[in-house]
Amino acid sequence: MENNQIRYYKPFVGPFDPCPPIRLKSFSTPPQLFIPFQPPNLPQFSPYEALKYGTLWPALFSPYDSKNTKLEAGD
Amino acid sequence: MSAVLNEDYYKLLHELQAIDFVLVELNLYLDTHPNDSNAIQQYNHCAEIRHQIAYQYETKYGPLKHFGQSLSGVPWSWNEAPWPWQV
Repeated sequence: MENNQIRYYKPFVGPFDPCPPIRLKSFSTPPQLFIPFQPPNLPQFSPYEALKYGTLWPALFSPYDSKNTKLEAGD
Repeated sequence: MSAVLNEDYYKLLHELQAIDFVLVELNLYLDTHPNDSNAIQQYNHCAEIRHQIAYQYETKYGPLKHFGQSLSGVPWSWNEAPWPWQV
C-alpha cells in the first residue's frame, strides 16, 4: 500500500562522519499540514472504523507506518 | 464480578470505546467550530447513545465510574477487579 504522505531526502554525507551514513531519510506529511481550517460536514468514518483509523474524518487520516522496514529510494 | 471476559462483555466495551472516541473527536472539533449545528446535533445524538450503552453495561457488569458518576448495585463493587487495564 503506497503511502503518498511520506517524503524523502538525502542527508549530506561527509568523509569524516563518525558513524555509518544514513543515505536516505523520510518524513511524514499528514493532511492537517495542508488544511488551514477544517471545513464543516466532511465525510466521516463509522464509529468502529474511526477507532481503528484514529480519526473521525478520512480526509485527515495519516497512516504513519513504522520505519523499520527497508527504505526504498522514493525520493 | 462474574460473567466477565465473555463475548458480550467485550462487545459492549468495544461499542462504548468506539462511541467515546467519536465523542472525543466531535468535542475537539466543536471547540474550534462552535456554530456547526450539524456537529452539535451529532454530538448530542452520540451522547445519548453513549448513555444507553453505558447503562446497558453497568446493569450487567457493575459501575464504570464512581463518586456518583455511575449507579451501583449491591455489593459495592467499583473497586473490584478487573480494572480497565486488566480487562
